[in-house]
Amino acid sequence: MTLSVEGLRVAHGAHEVLHGVDLTVASDELLVVLGPSGAGKSTLLRAVAGLTPISAGRVTIRDRDVTRLRPGQRNVAMVFQSYALFPHPPTAETTRSAPSGRAMPRAERADRARRPAATVGCGHLLGRRPGQLSGGERQRVALARALVREPDVFLLDEPLSNLDAELRVEMRAELKALHARVGGATLHVTHDQVEALVLGDRIAVLRDGRIEQVGTPDEIWHAPATTFVARFIGSPPMNLLPSDGPLSGFAPPGMLIGVRPGALRLSDQGAPARVERIEVVGEDAHIYLRLGEHSVVARVPSAQKPASDETHVTVRDGDVHVFDPSTGKRA
Amino acid sequence: MSRRQLGFMLAPYAVGMVALVLLPAAATLMLAFADYDLVQPPQWTGAGNFTELAGDGIFRTALVNSLVFAAVAVPLRLLIALGLALLLHRRARGVGTARTAAALPTAVPEVAYGLLWLWLFNPLYGPINQLLRVGGENGLTALGRTPPQWLTDPTDARAAIIIMSLFTVGESFLVLLAARLVLPPEVYELAAVEDATGWDVFRRITLPLIAPVLGLLLVRDTILSFQVSFVPALVVTDGGPPPYATTYLSLFVYRNAFEYLRYGYAAAATMVMLVLTVAAVILQWRLLRRWR
Repeated sequence: MTLSVEGLRVAHGAHEVLHGVDLTVASDELLVVLGPSGAGKSTLLRAVAGLTPISAGRVTIRDRDVTRLRPGQRNVAMVFQSYALFPHPPTAETTRSAPSGRAMPRAERADRARRPAATVGCGHLLGRRPGQLSGGERQRVALARALVREPDVFLLDEPLSNLDAELRVEMRAELKALHARVGGATLHVTHDQVEALVLGDRIAVLRDGRIEQVGTPDEIWHAPATTFVARFIGSPPMNLLPSDGPLSGFAPPGMLIGVRPGALRLSDQGAPARVERIEVVGEDAHIYLRLGEHSVVARVPSAQKPASDETHVTVRDGDVHVFDPSTGKRA
Repeated sequence: MSRRQLGFMLAPYAVGMVALVLLPAAATLMLAFADYDLVQPPQWTGAGNFTELAGDGIFRTALVNSLVFAAVAVPLRLLIALGLALLLHRRARGVGTARTAAALPTAVPEVAYGLLWLWLFNPLYGPINQLLRVGGENGLTALGRTPPQWLTDPTDARAAIIIMSLFTVGESFLVLLAARLVLPPEVYELAAVEDATGWDVFRRITLPLIAPVLGLLLVRDTILSFQVSFVPALVVTDGGPPPYATTYLSLFVYRNAFEYLRYGYAAAATMVMLVLTVAAVILQWRLLRRWR
C-alpha cells in the first residue's frame, strides 16, 4: 500500500469532522473520495497532506509513518481547486519544486520542468505568468507542477470544479489518460458522482465524516452498501420503497427495496401508477410517478414517454436492491 | 442621481479643496516670485528668491538633510512596517495586543511624541543612554565607548530624528497587515506541501503579491518624509545642533516664513520641495513599473 490511513479523526474545536476514517491507496491506484459538501472530503485530503492537525489516527506513506511529519516532509503533491499558482511565471514555479533538490543546476531544473509540462500539454505556457492563463491552462500548470515533484502520493482537491462544464469533461478525460500514463497513487476529492465513476479505480463514499462504502465504480453502482450511497450515486437518485408496498414480492416484509429510475419499466400491466410530471432531458425523460402513497421516478427514452396519465410499472428481480430500514445497510 | 444632487454633495469637498489646497498653492506659487513680510504689499522680484536659494548654504544643508533623511528613513520605515505585518498577521496569543502596540505610537500627538523622545534621548538621565551604559564603567558603554550624544552631536542628532520616525509606522503597518491577510491561504499551503523555505515563500509568494501595496506605500511615505521630520526637528533638536544639523526643508520653510517673515523666500523653498517630491514620485513609479 502506498498510502494508508487508519482511524483518522479530525476535530475543528469541539466539532468532530472526521470520525475515524480508514483508507488505503495502492501504488498507481486512483482513489476518488466522493461525498456531499461538508462530508469532510477536503479535510481528509488536508489531513493526509499534514495541513490540518489530526486528533487521532495514523497516516502511512510507503511504509513510512508520516503522522507527525511536516507537510513538506511527506513527499506528497497537491493540486487545489483554486490551483494556487505562485505569482511568478510558471516556468520558475514548476522548476523550483523539484523533489529533493534546492541545489539543482538551473539547466537541469528547466529540463525537469519541461518534461511534465509537455506531458500535461502546457509546454508552451512555461514562460507566462498565471494571470495570463485561462482556467484550463492554470489547471494544466498546477498538474505539471505536481508531476515535477515525482511525489509518492498525488492529492487532488476538486481539481475540476472551477472549470466550466465543457472544459471539465475534456480535462476529466485528460486526467484519466494522464493517470494511465504516469501512474502514481492518487487521492482525488470530488462531489461530482460522474467524475468519480469515470476516473476512479475505486471510490470511497464519505458522509458526515464516515466512510459509507469503498469499492470499484461497478460495486458502488451495482451493489451500494447503504441507502445513502444508493441515493447519492445516480441521477435521478434511486427510488426507495417499503418491500410490502406497491412493488411487493422482492423481499420479506419490513425491508426497503431500491430501484434505479432506469430499471423501472412502464407497461400495460404491473403496479398501477399515475403520471404527475414529466421532465424531458434530451434523449431521456424523467417520469415522476405516484404509486399509491409513494412517489417514484422512472427514466425512459423520450420517445417512450407515456401518452396518458395512467400507466403501470414493473421491475425485474435482478434490478432490485434490498436494504435494512433500521441501519440503512444492504441486506 | 441628478447633477444638482451631485453638486450639493460634492460642494463641501470642493470648498475645502479650493480654500485649503488650491488657493494656498496658488498664493505660494505667486509669492515664490515676490518679497512679502505681511506688513508691506508683495514686491515682485522675478526669479530673485530662487537665485538666492541657490547661493544659500543653509538651504543647501537643509536640502541635503532632507534627502538623506528620506533615503534612510523611508526604506527603513517600510521594512519595519512590513516586518511587523508579516510577524503579526497570524492568529496567536497576544497578537491583538502586539498589533495595538505597533500601531499606537502613530496615534500619539506629534508634539507630545517629540517631548517624550526629548526625555528618552537625554544623554545623562535618559533611559536610552542608561540602557546603553549597562555593563560599562565610568559612564561608558559595555564596549568602552562614549554613549551617543543624541541631541548635541550632529550625526547622532540626525540618527535620533530617524529613530523617532521608525516608530510611527502604524498606518503602513495596518495597510500591509490587511494586504497580507487577504492573500490566498492555498498558495501558502502548497508552499508548505512543497517544503519551500521561509525565504522562498517570502520572495516567490508574499513579496510579488504584496508588491503593489508596497509600491503605493513607498510613494506615499516619500511624499510624507518631507513632513514627518518637521515636528521632531522643531521640538526635539530645534534644527540643531549647530550648524543646522537637523534643519530640514520643512523647518527651513517654517523658520523663514513664520520667524523671519520672509514669505516669498519660504514660498520659493516650498516650490523646490514640491518639485523634488514630484521628481521622486515619478522616479519611483517608473522603477516600480519596470520591475513588475
